Amino acid sequence: MIQTAQDMKTYKDRIRAALGNQFLRKALDNFASSYRVSRAKAFEGIDLDTLKEQIAESKDQALTQLESLFVQFKTRAEAAGAIVHLAATAQQANEIIAKIGRDNGVKTIVKSKSMTAEETHLNDHLEAEGFKVTETDLGEWIIQLRHEGPSHMVMPAIHLSRQQVGTLFGDVTKTPVDLEDIDLMVKVARKELRPAFLAADMGISGTNMAIAETGTLGLISNEGNARLTTTLPRVHVALVGLEKLVPDITAALRIIKVLPKNATGQALTSYVTWITGAVECAASSTGKKILHIVFLDNGRLDLAKDPVFSEALRCIRCGACSNVCPVYGKVGGHTLGHVYIGAIGLILTYFYHGKDNARAIVRNCLNCQACKSVCPVNIDLPYLIKKVYANILRDEGTRPVKNTVLSTVMKNRGLFHSLLKVASNLQKPLVQKDAGVLRHLPFIFGKAHDFRTLPALAEKSFRDQWPKIRPHIKNPAYRVALFGGCVVDFVSPEQAISLVRLLSAHNVQMEYPMAQSCCGLPAMMMAEEETAADVAIQNLEALNSQSHDYILVLCASCGSHLKEGYSKLLAKKPEMKEKLRILHDKLIDFSSFMVNILKVVPESFLQNQTQVAYHSPCHLCRGLGVTREPRALLQTAGLDYTPCKDEDVCCGFGGSYSLEFPEISSEILSQKLDHVENTGADVLVTDCPGCVLQLRGGMDKRNSRIKVRHIAEVVADNLKNP
Amino acid sequence: MTHNKLIDCMKEKAGLVQAVVSTVSSMEDVLRYAVDLTLQRNSKTIVVPGLDPQSLQELEALCSDAGLTVLQPPFRAHQSQIDTALTGADWAIAETGTLVLDSGSEDLRIATMLSETHIAWIPASRILPDATALSAYLVEKMKTPPGYMSFITGASRTADIERVLAIGVHGPQELHILVMEENPS
Ligand code: SF4
Ligand code: SF4
Repeated sequence: MIQTAQDMKTYKDRIRAALGNQFLRKALDNFASSYRVSRAKAFEGIDLDTLKEQIAESKDQALTQLESLFVQFKTRAEAAGAIVHLAATAQQANEIIAKIGRDNGVKTIVKSKSMTAEETHLNDHLEAEGFKVTETDLGEWIIQLRHEGPSHMVMPAIHLSRQQVGTLFGDVTKTPVDLEDIDLMVKVARKELRPAFLAADMGISGTNMAIAETGTLGLISNEGNARLTTTLPRVHVALVGLEKLVPDITAALRIIKVLPKNATGQALTSYVTWITGAVECAASSTGKKILHIVFLDNGRLDLAKDPVFSEALRCIRCGACSNVCPVYGKVGGHTLGHVYIGAIGLILTYFYHGKDNARAIVRNCLNCQACKSVCPVNIDLPYLIKKVYANILRDEGTRPVKNTVLSTVMKNRGLFHSLLKVASNLQKPLVQKDAGVLRHLPFIFGKAHDFRTLPALAEKSFRDQWPKIRPHIKNPAYRVALFGGCVVDFVSPEQAISLVRLLSAHNVQMEYPMAQSCCGLPAMMMAEEETAADVAIQNLEALNSQSHDYILVLCASCGSHLKEGYSKLLAKKPEMKEKLRILHDKLIDFSSFMVNILKVVPESFLQNQTQVAYHSPCHLCRGLGVTREPRALLQTAGLDYTPCKDEDVCCGFGGSYSLEFPEISSEILSQKLDHVENTGADVLVTDCPGCVLQLRGGMDKRNSRIKVRHIAEVVADNLKNP
Repeated sequence: MTHNKLIDCMKEKAGLVQAVVSTVSSMEDVLRYAVDLTLQRNSKTIVVPGLDPQSLQELEALCSDAGLTVLQPPFRAHQSQIDTALTGADWAIAETGTLVLDSGSEDLRIATMLSETHIAWIPASRILPDATALSAYLVEKMKTPPGYMSFITGASRTADIERVLAIGVHGPQELHILVMEENPS
C-alpha cells in the first residue's frame, strides 16, 4: 500500500531516509545524465517546439469536447462488438471490472501496465474480491511482489538494485538467482509469467490513446506483455482515463511520435497495438473476444472545465518531468509523489487522491522550471504546483504564520524596507568582519541549514546609496531603468554598482525607480497570490515611465517573474494590460543587453583570460530562454569560459525552498559545486543574485578557493577604463 | 527519399533496435532462411500463418528433410511449442525500422507473440518513409472492424532492472527482417 506523508514532520523524516539511500541517488543520477543525451539524440532533426504546440493544442481542443468524443467512441466501439462503460469514480470503475470478472466466471487475471489502474488501486479491489491478479510488466511485477507503488511512471522499479530484484526472484521461485545477471533475471520473469498468461481468464490493460473516430484503443509497450494480455485471455478489459480520448488517428500518431522519445529517448517502443472492437478469440465460446472498455472520470470532467488546471489533463504520462527534476533525482518517486509521480504527480494527487496526500509533497518544488521545459505538451507544471498549494491552504483555511507575516509586510513597501534596515542593524553582532557573511546562524535555523554560510544584509542598501552615486550622462545612447530586486538592493548592492560602472562606461544613463519593491516571486512560492498580485501592480506603476528604453534586471528570477509571471497573475485586470505589454517589451537581462543592444567589444576589456565556470540560472535559461549571451559576454570580456557538467541544472536555492528543505537543497548544491570544482576554474560566474548567494555560501562552507561572482561584477572588473 | 534510401534507412533503423536485417530475392530464400535459423537455434518447430499453399508445400518439404515440424493451426493448441514464427509484414516504416502487421487473425497474433524467434519478410516496395504515410491505410482498416493492427519495432525488450537493456522479456527474443528486393541491384 502506498502511504504518503500527510504532514511536514513525517515528510521530512521520509526525505532524510530517502537521502540516505545511496543506491537510489546514484541510479537516478546516472539516469538523469543519460536521459538528457538520449532524448536530445532522439529528437534530432525534429521541430519539437512546433510538435509540442500541435499536441497541446489538439489536446486542449479534445478536452473541451470529452463528452461528445466519449459518445462517438462508444458508438463506434460498440458497433465493433465492444461494451463501453463510464465510471464516475475510482470505486465504481473497480466495481464494474470486478463484476465483468464475476459475470464471465473469471478466476485469474493478467494485467499489463496501467497508471490508471494504479490510480484506482484496482489490484487491491480485485484481490479482495477473490481474483488472482498478476502484473506482467516486469517493473510492475517486481513492485507487486514487494507490495509497493511505482517510483516512476514509466520505470516503476527504478528505485531497486539488481541485487534486490535477484533476491526477490530467488524467494519467489525458491531457486537461487545470480544477483548480478540481469539477463538471467529477465528470463526468470519470462518463465514465471508465461504460465500466468496461458492460464488467465481475463486480461486488463491500460490505454495510451482512445480514438473516437473509429472506437480504437492504442497501446504502446516494449515488453510485449500488453499484446499477450489483450490476445490470450478470453476477456479483455481496458481501463481508460477520459482524457485519453483523441479525435482521430492523426492526433494519435502525433502522440506516438513524441511519447517514447520523450520518455526514454527511444525512437519508438517495440510494440504499438491498435485494437478496434472484438477480434477473433478461440478461447471464448463465441469465438470473439469479450471486450469491455471502462472509461474513468474520477474528477476529469470537472477538471477539464477548470480554466487553470485543465491543462494538467494534457499529460501523456511520459514521466519526463520526473527525469529532469532535481528534487526527484535526490529523493526518488516514493518521496516525490503519491500514485502519480514527479511534477505532474504533485498536481494530480490533489485532484485524484485528495488534499491529505498532496499536502506535504506539493511543497517540495524548487520552481526550477526543468519539468516545464521538457514537458511535451507544454504544461506549466511549476505554476500549477503553486496553484495546488494555494488551493490546499484555502481548503484548510489555515495559513502558516510565516505566510501571514510575509503578506502583511510585503504589501506595504515602506514597512518592508524599514524592517530590512532594522534587521541590518540587528544582525551586526553576528556579521563576520570583512567577509559579509553571518558568523553564526540565528537560533531559528537548525543544524540542517549549516550547509552554506548566509550573507549578511548590506550595511547600506543600494537604494540608500543611489542618490549619491547616480551618474549623469550627457547625451546618453540609451536610458535604462534597473529593476534591482531584494537581494541586489539589500544584500549585494555591489552587483548593481558594477552595473553602474559598465553602463556609464558605455554611455548609458541608468535610473533606479525608488517606488519599486520586491518582485513578488517569494509570495508566489508561498502561494500568496493576492500579495504577489499587489506588489506586481506596485512595480508596474513604479516602472511605467516613458523615459526608459529598457528595463534591466540583474536577477533572472525577478526578470522571468516580471515577464511571464505578471501576465498570469494580472490576467484578470484589463486595466493593466498596456503596462504589462510595455514591461514585457522593455525588460531585458543584463547579458542580453550588453551583447545584443550595446554590442560590447573585446577592445573595451582586459583580456586576462581568467578561467571561469558558468552556472546557468533556471530562470534565465528556461524562464527567459537566454543561453547564448552570458557565455558570449564572458568571452568578450576577456575571460576564459570553461564548460562545466550540468550547467543548467538548478543550484538548489529556490528562495524559501532552501529554508524549507535544507537537506535536499544542500545535496543539489553539493553536486553542483563538485562539477564546478572539476573544471579547475578560479571563478564561478552566474547571473542571478539568488544563485550567487547559494553557490557562494556553499563554496565558503567548503573553504574552496573558487570565488563566486555575479556576471556584472566580473565583466565590470575587466573594464579597461573603469 | 529515393527508394534505395528508404530501404537503407529501414535496414539501419531496424538494426539499431537489434533486429537482424537481411536482403532476399525470392520466397525460396525466405523459406531457407527460416529453416536454417531454426536449425541453428537447435529448435524444432515452425509456424507460418497465412502462407500461400505452394510455399507451404515447399517449406514442408524442406522441413521434413531437416527434421523440423511445421505446426498446423489453430496455434492455440501449440502455444507452448512454437519455436520459429515465419510471417509476412504488410508494411514497413523506414523512419523507425518498424514492421506493420494486420493481426486480426488470432493465429498470426499467437505466432508473433509466443514464438521464440520471429522472422518476417517484407517486399521492398512496401517500405514507407514514416507513420503518417500510413494514416489512410490505418483509418480504412479501423473503419472496417474488428481489427488488431501491430507495429513491431525490434525484439521484445525491457530496461526495468537498473535500466539495463535486456531483450526478450515476453515476446520473441529475436526479430529477423528479410527485405525482399524484386530486382536487387
Ligand atoms: S520546477 Fe523543478 S523542482 Fe519543481 S517539480 Fe519542476 S523540476 Fe521539480
Ligand atoms: S506532465 Fe508532461 S512531462 Fe510530465 S509526464 Fe505528463 S506529459 Fe510527461
